[in-house]
Amino acid sequence: MYSWYTLTLVDYVVVGAAIFASMFALFWLLNKLGVNRETATGYALILPWVLGFLIWNLGPIIASLYLSFTEYTVLSPPTWIGWDNYVRMFTDDRRFWDIMIFTLAYSLFNVPLGLVGALITATLLNQNVRGVGMWRTLFYLPAVLPVAATALLWRWMLGTNGLLNVLLSPFYNLFNVERPAWLTDPKMVLPAYIIMGLWGVFGANTVILLAGLKNISKDLYDAAKIDGAGRISSYRNVTIPMLSGTLFYVLIMGIIGSLQTFTQAFFIQHTSRAGTFMNVYIYQQAFQRNRMGYAAALGWVMLLIILLFTLLVFKSSAAWVYYEGEKDE
Amino acid sequence: MSSPTYTPNPRSSTQNADVLVKIFVYAMLIIFAGIVLIPFFWMLSTSLKSPSELFVHPPRWIPDPIKWSNYPDAWTALPFNRFLINTVYTTLLAMFAEITTAAIVAYGFARFRFPGRNVLFLVLLSTMMLPGILTLIPKFIMWRSVDRIDTFTPLTVGAWFVWGPSFVFLLRQFFLSIPREIEEAAILDGASVPRVFWDIMLPLVKPALLAIAVLSFQGNWNNFEGALIYLNTLEKYPMVLGLQFFGASLSREAPQWHLMMAMSTLMAAPILVLFFMAQKYFIEGLTVGAVKG
Repeated sequence: MYSWYTLTLVDYVVVGAAIFASMFALFWLLNKLGVNRETATGYALILPWVLGFLIWNLGPIIASLYLSFTEYTVLSPPTWIGWDNYVRMFTDDRRFWDIMIFTLAYSLFNVPLGLVGALITATLLNQNVRGVGMWRTLFYLPAVLPVAATALLWRWMLGTNGLLNVLLSPFYNLFNVERPAWLTDPKMVLPAYIIMGLWGVFGANTVILLAGLKNISKDLYDAAKIDGAGRISSYRNVTIPMLSGTLFYVLIMGIIGSLQTFTQAFFIQHTSRAGTFMNVYIYQQAFQRNRMGYAAALGWVMLLIILLFTLLVFKSSAAWVYYEGEKDE
Repeated sequence: MSSPTYTPNPRSSTQNADVLVKIFVYAMLIIFAGIVLIPFFWMLSTSLKSPSELFVHPPRWIPDPIKWSNYPDAWTALPFNRFLINTVYTTLLAMFAEITTAAIVAYGFARFRFPGRNVLFLVLLSTMMLPGILTLIPKFIMWRSVDRIDTFTPLTVGAWFVWGPSFVFLLRQFFLSIPREIEEAAILDGASVPRVFWDIMLPLVKPALLAIAVLSFQGNWNNFEGALIYLNTLEKYPMVLGLQFFGASLSREAPQWHLMMAMSTLMAAPILVLFFMAQKYFIEGLTVGAVKG
């Protein structure tokens, strides 16, 4: 009856077997060609990734680049329209700019706030506190929850009569402000997403940064102390430089992740039109309105933006990331 | 870090300052813990409330009466038995393929010298930056051309091709930390590469494998984007799509928060259990890449 389970199982076994067979075939072939054993083994072992890269990354990237210059509605084959998709995006699509600004603004707040919050928490946990393991597990909890569950939970708490407004009502009374309608007021959607995003991410970053802090040798602090450095000065001159590699990693992954926010939007279901993320817009264009070509063009703009940000961080990292002279390996 | 026990001559003023710092540290930690735990507790509490109790003011933290029946109610509001089978099925298939190939590829990168190795590894790392949505459209067209839309195949078979570059990175770090002598002895004894890999290397990186197993479970169990795009028959939905469906259609106008929170809790429960069981390895695995890299 449920033949779709069998169908996938067959696909799965066939493809798996094909991968292993091709690994052995490549090894045998390279050996025949007189390539030395180590090289042949190496290539054979990384073959699944090489194939995956070609089939699931490089091919689709090129295909989507081509599609971005076409009009493609799935029903009929793509027709070449040159730069039209890109021109329309920047000149004719009013939603594009709103969505782009919203997505960038979200990252601009979410990434630095998440990083600083996590750095503070990790620093606190590094002060010889009792039960570090327990605290660490506790802070990591939000990152373990499924994004879907987290987003639903926040949708529930961000309602006008939701828990957040109830808990914050003393402050509202104090400053004489109205309860914000987080999910219906277009101006409040961004803060709502930022609050939710911070809750979800900060624990994971804390755990990574804490490991980075624990990795810093005690000798460095002792040396700083002998040189007469106080708490603040040793934090600035020892901790931050030694942690900069880890901070860099968290920053890059944070930017990449937050620019691609997707799942949350499907569970939050806010009513205002403001506050759409770029990835959600791409999904809508591609799969709800069947504008595959336009969606591919939007995707390419997103890729270029991610590359630009990553490059900026990389370039600037020369100034602030400190690498030890010798790296392991 | 700069605790008084490390100073040769502790003076009383620094000791006082240290006590104040300690109080400040614990106070902050407790506040942060509250921020983390209150929403979490609210989810559990809501999942056990009767509908009339949802908007009671002031909020009631312990429901009265405790409505355990929300859980079976939520479970039967949609065919969640079917959703669970679908989720477990796709998660297990994808996990197995993903972990197996990641380990093999990581071993290749860690232990064998071949021309272009470093360049290829950089390419692998840089694929982490690719926005998934960019490749999604061509992938969708590919799966459509082989007639696999609305099947589990797109959600599982791709895992044979190393889904997560971060898993390869993590496992490679672990393989690199194993002394070469261990396998060299075995190779001298005439063991083949698959044998060395299976009998010697894999048991040594067990902690990393466990960490990856948890991460992979989490990723596939929660895979919303793939399910949303490839599946369109209700009977084939995984739990995450069922949850979204419930929230967006059946419960849109008058949200049944008690049921939705019960479903969220049920969805989160297996991941929470796994996380607590494998916690030690998990944290180690999560951090090794970022810190050593």
